[in-house]
Amino acid sequence: MTQTALEAINLIRRFGETRALDEVYFTIPKGQVVSLVGPSGCGKSTLLRTLLWLEPPDDGFVKVGDRYLGKDLSPEGLVRRQSGREIDRIRPRIGMVYQSLNLWPHLTVEQNVTRPQIRVARRRPEDARDKAQALLDRLQIAQLSDRYPGEISGGQKQRVAIARALAMDPEIMLFDEPTSALDPELVGEVLSLLREFADGGMTMMVVTHELAFARDVASRLMFMDHGRIVADGDPNTVISSRKNARVAEFFDRVQAFHPDFRNPHQRRQR
Amino acid sequence: MLDPTVITENLPLFLEGALMTLRVTAIAFVVGMTIGGIASVAILSSIAPLRWLAAAYVAVMRGTPFIVLLFLIHYGLPAMGVRLPALVNGTVALSLFAGAYYTEIIRACVKALPKGQWESARAIGMSPVAAARDIIIPQILGPMVPPVVNCTMTMIKESSVLSTITVAELTFAGLVVQGETFAPFEVFITVALIYWAITAAFAFGAALFERRLAGANRNRLMTPLVARYLLLDGGRT
Amino acid sequence: MKFDFDYVLSSLPRVSDAAMVNLRIAILAFCLALIGGTALTLVRSLKIAPLNGLIAVCLSFIRGTPILIQIFLIYYGLPAATGLRLPPEIAGITAIALNSSFFISEIMRGSLPEIDGGQIEASTALGLSPGVIWRKVILPQLFRRISPMLINEGTVIVKGTALLSVITVVEALRVSQQIGAAKFRPFEPILAAAAMFLIINLALTAGGLLLERRFAREGR
Ligand SMILES: Nc1ncnc2c1ncn2[C@@H]1O[C@H](COP(=O)(O)OP(=O)(O)OP(=O)(O)O)[C@@H](O)[C@H]1O
Ligand SMILES: [Mg+2]
Repeated sequence: MTQTALEAINLIRRFGETRALDEVYFTIPKGQVVSLVGPSGCGKSTLLRTLLWLEPPDDGFVKVGDRYLGKDLSPEGLVRRQSGREIDRIRPRIGMVYQSLNLWPHLTVEQNVTRPQIRVARRRPEDARDKAQALLDRLQIAQLSDRYPGEISGGQKQRVAIARALAMDPEIMLFDEPTSALDPELVGEVLSLLREFADGGMTMMVVTHELAFARDVASRLMFMDHGRIVADGDPNTVISSRKNARVAEFFDRVQAFHPDFRNPHQRRQR
Repeated sequence: MLDPTVITENLPLFLEGALMTLRVTAIAFVVGMTIGGIASVAILSSIAPLRWLAAAYVAVMRGTPFIVLLFLIHYGLPAMGVRLPALVNGTVALSLFAGAYYTEIIRACVKALPKGQWESARAIGMSPVAAARDIIIPQILGPMVPPVVNCTMTMIKESSVLSTITVAELTFAGLVVQGETFAPFEVFITVALIYWAITAAFAFGAALFERRLAGANRNRLMTPLVARYLLLDGGRT
Repeated sequence: MKFDFDYVLSSLPRVSDAAMVNLRIAILAFCLALIGGTALTLVRSLKIAPLNGLIAVCLSFIRGTPILIQIFLIYYGLPAATGLRLPPEIAGITAIALNSSFFISEIMRGSLPEIDGGQIEASTALGLSPGVIWRKVILPQLFRRISPMLINEGTVIVKGTALLSVITVVEALRVSQQIGAAKFRPFEPILAAAAMFLIINLALTAGGLLLERRFAREGR
């Protein structure tokens, strides 16, 4: 039996009238690469923030590995809110790379990667530095260690944000539109980096509009609309499926902007 | 017609008063900053009653004249059975008053940071204390300097009101000398010039400090405009 | 001694009557400061170097010294130096208005660059005189832009009127002190005075917010 990395159980979140999350269920086994696709405003960022319990849901549970995050559910069915300290201990098991990166501008690249290790994982500064150097080296930005985030390019910032998250040895990585803030010529670079991670067996959930990634790298595609997961499965099947009108419409529209993207459905049409 | 002996003969009195002004303001700065730190955390917290309490404190302090607050404390404490020297009452009042303005400054500086700064720190597992200490506070220290300087200058000036409850600061020294010499023009011009010198020196020192802070952290843009401070820039707080 | 809420209530009528004096002084001082501040701004726009230098020094002095001292200078110092003796209320209004004029002029100067230069150029091209351009083009926009800061200045002025109790103006704070002295219990009447100032300033701030919202709806 494969182990579970992340599980969402009946997540519900409303902002007034809008349903940002509507009964979201899923289980991500270890090693799986999931892409999360959906129209703007459908609740993708809210979902990622909820998975980290940054935005406690109105209802539902999150499980990281075998551990609940935010709210415990005992086998007898008792619900218990976790203390802030408990939550802080579980959060580093999920790595998050934000759409806006959120690097800390007053710390150098190296400090951005070492500070959480020292404060949260309680590593010794020299161990944290070794770890940071190894990661920055692997991401090919070791030469930028002493620069500040304001002094490096967008693509380099992205790598720093990834290194910062990876340094905590997370069991799953969440990426929120990792390519949306980048210049077009850098998109390919980041995608091949993600492909590298996937080949290395990393568990990932990637919010993306890059269909090339969703189809070729991810092994599973979840499609979200109005806070619901309306389609979930093998990427090619979901993309070419005509069962759900919203999904079909979305991919037809996206394909219009991706001339290199061909799916079986489109080929049939020709 | 100007009588310089009024000034020269009473210079020690003026200087002692000035020293007291500086001392009172310095204490109000330290206590006020402490209050500001605590109250701004309350205002930024997600606990509604705490937020309301802190907001009410700020609104009351900002909406009431300092002289009225001073009297409230100076006459209110004895009414509650707490008898303290006027100097203590005055310092307490000035600290509470300053604290409200510092609260506003800290709140505004934190609000000006992108929300993701706090969130990314918490997401990676930092406790609220660690996130504040490592991520938020270092980033607001720089932007806080100009408004805090401005506000503290206002407090130096407001401390003149302590003369009304007989705290022996600079304005009180002026009133004493004027009572003895009946030369109000000479006396109050002298007092004004001393205040002017204090605020100007303070502003100048703050500008130097700000520049050093900017030099220490090349990543941040600041406004080290000494010239600006020479004109004592900054509006009302 | 116990806190006596009835005593607060019973002193309210006299204190609130006296608060009308504060309001009157504040309104007068505010209007004068508005005129003074505008005049200072106009003079500064002429860019006459010695004059602007003088204004800069005065500005620095006004900012760098307590308003209480400025009040003393006008009430006690002016008669000693020039023989011109002003009644307490007039002296107070003069000091507050003078003080605020400089702050308002600074506010105006700060917002002046935000005004679209193209309109001024166009008006100049149309052959309008500088006086007309100021009156019809610049000032209306400027006042609209700085209205939130003017409201804030208004609250500063209202608070400043309490200081006039020190030079014997019979306003809310002084009346509350008089009541307290007569009854040998100063605290409760001062609380009533504090409430009056708070009410005036909260109303002013709320009015300012309404004004701002209306301007925002009209689209600047
Ligand atoms: N703090 C909030 N208050 C009110 N509404 C919110 C809040 N955060 C999100 N929403 C709403 O919830 C819905 C989901 O937002 P979310 O940011 O998760 O969308 P998204 O799928 O990430 O969109 P995008 O692709 O544009 O990033 C939106 O309708 C948004 O307006
Ligand atoms: Mg989003």
